[in-house]
Amino acid sequence: MTTHAKRHIWLVEASRCMGCFGCEAACKMEHGLPGEPRPVRVIQAGPVGKGDDLVMSFQPTSCCHCDRPACVLACPAGAMQKREDGIVFSDLELCIGCQTCAVACPFGVPQLNPASGKIAKCDGCRTRIDKGMSPACVVKCPSGALFFGSPARVVHEIRIQEALKVAKAFAREEGEPV
Amino acid sequence: MLDHLPMTRSPGSHRDREDQVTTVCQECSVGCGLLASVRGGRIVDIQGDEQHPISRGRLCARGTAFVQGLTLPERLVRPAVRKKRGGDFQPLDDWKSGMDLLAERLRQAREKHGPDSLLIGCDLEGGLDFHLGAMRFAHLWGTSQVFGSLGQPLDSWASGLDGPAAPCSDWVHSRCLLLVETDLAATHPVAFAWVQEAQRRGAQVVAADALFTATLAKADQTVRIKPGQGNLLGLALTKIILAEGGQSAQAVEAGFKDAAGWAASFEQMSLEGVEVALGISLEELQHLARLLARSGPVTVITGRSLANLQHHRIWRTLATAMGWTGQRGGGWYPVEAGTPPFAVRADAGGEKSKAKSEASPTLAEVRARGNLQAVICSGNSLSEYLAPFGLAEDIGVVAHFGSFPNATWERASMTFPAALWAERDGLAFSNDGAVQWGAKIVEPPAECRSGLDFWMELARRFGWEAHFPWATEDGRGDRAAFYGWLMAQSSCTAGLQLNQLQSVQPGSQIFWPAIEGALPGAGKFAPHAAPVALASGSQAAVTADYPLALQMARSSCRSGDASRFWPWTESLAREDAVQINPETALLLGIENGDEVVIDTPQGALPARANLSRVVPRWLVASYKGMNGDGVNGVPALVHKIDQLPDEARTLLKNLTP
Repeated sequence: MTTHAKRHIWLVEASRCMGCFGCEAACKMEHGLPGEPRPVRVIQAGPVGKGDDLVMSFQPTSCCHCDRPACVLACPAGAMQKREDGIVFSDLELCIGCQTCAVACPFGVPQLNPASGKIAKCDGCRTRIDKGMSPACVVKCPSGALFFGSPARVVHEIRIQEALKVAKAFAREEGEPV
Repeated sequence: MLDHLPMTRSPGSHRDREDQVTTVCQECSVGCGLLASVRGGRIVDIQGDEQHPISRGRLCARGTAFVQGLTLPERLVRPAVRKKRGGDFQPLDDWKSGMDLLAERLRQAREKHGPDSLLIGCDLEGGLDFHLGAMRFAHLWGTSQVFGSLGQPLDSWASGLDGPAAPCSDWVHSRCLLLVETDLAATHPVAFAWVQEAQRRGAQVVAADALFTATLAKADQTVRIKPGQGNLLGLALTKIILAEGGQSAQAVEAGFKDAAGWAASFEQMSLEGVEVALGISLEELQHLARLLARSGPVTVITGRSLANLQHHRIWRTLATAMGWTGQRGGGWYPVEAGTPPFAVRADAGGEKSKAKSEASPTLAEVRARGNLQAVICSGNSLSEYLAPFGLAEDIGVVAHFGSFPNATWERASMTFPAALWAERDGLAFSNDGAVQWGAKIVEPPAECRSGLDFWMELARRFGWEAHFPWATEDGRGDRAAFYGWLMAQSSCTAGLQLNQLQSVQPGSQIFWPAIEGALPGAGKFAPHAAPVALASGSQAAVTADYPLALQMARSSCRSGDASRFWPWTESLAREDAVQINPETALLLGIENGDEVVIDTPQGALPARANLSRVVPRWLVASYKGMNGDGVNGVPALVHKIDQLPDEARTLLKNLTP
């Protein structure tokens, strides 16, 4: 399908994530969710290693908003949909809570919200996006690990940051302030 | 300077609102800016304030989710009493009858057992006004038994600080940041964002702690020390730097009184035993000392538990001797020390004014006296730091002032519902020393009152209203008048006007001291001299009976009362979890999720095993301490619930140190 709708990407720079769970809380408060489900989830890996030589990392994860989403195909109620801008979301008016989408998803993303009996998954904060705002998790993340914007802008941003790393290293070598 | 403005985010709220309140988050002491959307007297959205110099629009989990606590069904909203321990609370119609009863019981205790039969415990959640009001009331009452959340009187809270640190936004100018026993990434994520910003600009981030915390995970270099030995690390580093001539002679001369005597004390101090006490090698220490000596300006960020331990002032001494203090991006930044000392008792009369020099007793001393008849506790202070001292065993009057049912409330004979910070106006002092006016967002439930109200009500019943002269027409505390008066009670904030703080321009901040040179420790100061030997008294005595050590550590999603009651945090991390190193667990036959018992000389604590390399082999960490935040390396033993302690002792003989 060719579309001219503006697409966005949600990019995670996990090396910045400090595991504060700010994104999870922001998501829960934005969507009024109980303990589980967690549409944004920070996965803590580690610490692993030997003795004092340890590594621990944090990986914020969420829905991939697939190009050909299995959940949308599987949904018997027509609740799970993909918008023109790429966002995959479940229309809660239509959702019957059968969890067929959860079975179909290769990543196990859709989860049942026990409070509502319906599916809860990342809807890309579509209400916010439609009003020109970034998703709640991106806005509140203290570490700046989450980026949101058009693919061109996000890629541009990453390039600048990588270039800055190199430039700053040179500046330090020259004894200049960075 | 190479700089790049990161990609702009598009903040904002899409909720319908009638009002938006700009205020300061008071979940912790970082002091982030909040924009709260309000509709129908309720908060409908919380966003960060993009203009705020500390938080730049970012918020952590607590700063976002505190809203849930305000409207939680379990919230305490009525004063209540109960006849006997364990019985049901009988709700009272209003505060009047509850306060009358409390005053009567206190009066009886005082007549029979004297003023020192009363003890007051203050929790951070009770607010600064509860703590300061308690000190003033206690002064009139004739006791100095007022304790803060560290089990220490407020007077010593700021001791050793002598002045606020430069703001955390200055860390981007540091060449090195040394974090000692503070897990900033978990406890103050928005402040830690400045650490990361500095790191991206090339600063070396070195973190020293007993646990492999999130902060250590993000650091460039880590130093694993024994718990509670951070200040000892400071002494050892100073010794090595001085021996190698790494200090700034000019800074030493300009900053210290008796610089020669100070230097001589370090020459005499031996490093013998330091490797065992700290748990790191001399080579590691030298490596760290040399790194610090060559990478100024360095900012040393120290955790709040170190403030109560010996040799805390070594950090100010080191930062000054190295010439870091005063340089942008250099100095000492003790966390949780941004509140200036207030002389809240000076103008109050009362019996204690005759004996001003009397030092406040320690909790252990209070216990030894055995004279306690009544305690007044805000938040969960009884359970967190008073009960472990055995201070609540046979006490008749336990008054609780708080917002949520907790262990203190369970033990209480009467309870008074507290307004939460979002429901009261007040001053907020950030770690940086920024003085901010935190406007209330919503009104509290009808019978929920502030800490100031609590003490005003009680003082009125003893005829001391003249000493609490901040009443509005309806008899409640006039918070603006109180804080206006308060600022005049410290040389650090004298001269600041409330309307100045209330109308501060977006993006700017006001710091104390308001007047230059007003700090108690301004100018040359007496540096912290070296002790003769490094062996520290607080070192856990690992014995054959207790071959492990216990440390209390909070998980990032748990902090204080309110978060314990966020509906979702409960399902995310078990409060009774104890972290055990997998190698130690293997020796003991403990698996993830097993029911275990943490045995200490102070008592036993049931817990659930959570196997993790966050803790070294010889340490176990529990969210719930035996003694609140005070637990650092208490000797301990862990065994399965169906295993005899001696069996575990035998198995642990194979534990390599």
